[in-house]
Amino acid sequence: MENFQKTIWPQLRAVFVVVHLFAIFAMAFPAPGGGMRRSSWRNPTVQGEFAAWTGRLNAVGVDIEQGELEDHLWTFASGYMVVRGKVLTPFKPYYNRLGTWQSWRMFVAPHRFPSKLNVDIRRDGEWQAVYVMRDPQLDWQGHVLDHDRMRSALFRYAWGHYRPTYYQLCDWLAKQARVDFPTADRLRCRYYNYQSPSPQQVRDGTQPTGTFKSNRVVRLK
Amino acid sequence: MMVLRAWKALVTLLDTREAATCLALFRIAMALTVFTTLFEMWMRDVHLMTWVDMGLSGYRPIRPRAGLIHWMGGATPDVVGRVIVGTMFFALASAAGIGGRVTNFITLQLLIALVTLNTHAGGSYDELMTNALWLLVLAPSTKTLSVDCYLQTGQWTSDAKVPAWVRYLAVFQILTCYWTTGLQKLSVYWTPGGDFSALYYIFQQPSWQRFDMEWVAYVYPLSQFATAMTWFWEVLIPLWVLAYYFRYTADSPGRVRAWFNRVDVRSWFVVIGLVFHLSVTAFMNVGPFSFASMAYFACFFTPDEVHSAWARVRARVVPA
Repeated sequence: MENFQKTIWPQLRAVFVVVHLFAIFAMAFPAPGGGMRRSSWRNPTVQGEFAAWTGRLNAVGVDIEQGELEDHLWTFASGYMVVRGKVLTPFKPYYNRLGTWQSWRMFVAPHRFPSKLNVDIRRDGEWQAVYVMRDPQLDWQGHVLDHDRMRSALFRYAWGHYRPTYYQLCDWLAKQARVDFPTADRLRCRYYNYQSPSPQQVRDGTQPTGTFKSNRVVRLK
Repeated sequence: MMVLRAWKALVTLLDTREAATCLALFRIAMALTVFTTLFEMWMRDVHLMTWVDMGLSGYRPIRPRAGLIHWMGGATPDVVGRVIVGTMFFALASAAGIGGRVTNFITLQLLIALVTLNTHAGGSYDELMTNALWLLVLAPSTKTLSVDCYLQTGQWTSDAKVPAWVRYLAVFQILTCYWTTGLQKLSVYWTPGGDFSALYYIFQQPSWQRFDMEWVAYVYPLSQFATAMTWFWEVLIPLWVLAYYFRYTADSPGRVRAWFNRVDVRSWFVVIGLVFHLSVTAFMNVGPFSFASMAYFACFFTPDEVHSAWARVRARVVPA
């Protein structure tokens, strides 16, 4: 036992540490993750980034069109994700059983076209707002919708590929509305999508207007 | 030959032993973070919406096909409630330093069972917490500042030495988080050559803001400075690692090494990090991200440094 402690254990421990460091670093290393959806690339925020990078590359003498840049990046990222997937596969039990996942894609880019969840109910034929994200006066179900875990979910549901789950959320809200607003006959969920005002626009008081999207109306009666 | 030398150096480094103070502070801070985040969810009934199956009280299907919650009968309000209470209980036990590694392992497994129920409703803070708990399973973190220590020695603190390698792994973990998040900030709003407006626009995103942030437009240059600081701080994390190496090899010659140690580059990174996290907490609602991150800060200094800093504080507060 003493021999194990003095000679074998230090070597085993070093092997474990090296494997651990490799496992976490390989998973943490930058990857597009959820960005590997070509449909998401059509989002105006993403398109703005591609346009700016195309401009930057053109400025340093690289003759490339935005569409070409996107195609090259898609090809590279697809290949990279395949290799990454193969490298990470043997470590999956280590990540899943012991919680050593690494995903540090945090605020990689500001969302220039954010969305605010709006929830309305209809009473006597009139629509009435009951929840508007970040509006302290309209905060029905705010105790859950404004919690940081739901903020994360609501951010996701503004993207098209989360549509089925977004609809489930609207159905859940309708269930709560039947209790809280017994006289209402409809509930409507929608996202207000707008461009964030630039500092100059805020100072000038000229806010850009937006549009509503992802309309979902649920019958309450 | 070089590989063999590096291997021997690694084995020697991992053999280092030190007082358990930093690990104990890491354990206490992280366990309290786990407890408070779950307690707040539980009090607001957020778990009933996010972690319970659709049709019972949740908004989307939560049907774990394996693991603890599945084995306990599925994501029902009762089961999820029990697991939350259990996790809070063991997190408190971990903070108090009862049960050593076993308590940390149970807390970890319960927390994994919960945070994997609905991955739409979570964040990087979950990973910071589970990673930390796993490291605390690897370490005898209750050798001091714990009930275990009191029961074994009759004192709340002890000078007992523990292996330092788990503290090194904690440092590596949080630096990996910072560095790789910086490498992914490739947006024109973050990177040099752009206008460093990323933080201004992130503050305008309704998803994360704590309150209306339009006022930032009136201090826009300050937000540009903060954006540049954040980006450079994250991308230059390897310098922080270098600062550790220079400190570890302080006896070796070299002007750069001497400068790093004289200026204490490591402490500057820590100060900027603290300002960053406190600012995030003040202006944004990103859950326990800052608290989970700052818990790792307990590992940035050696126990000897922490002891002498504490002695200086005590000398000022309680003059001899």
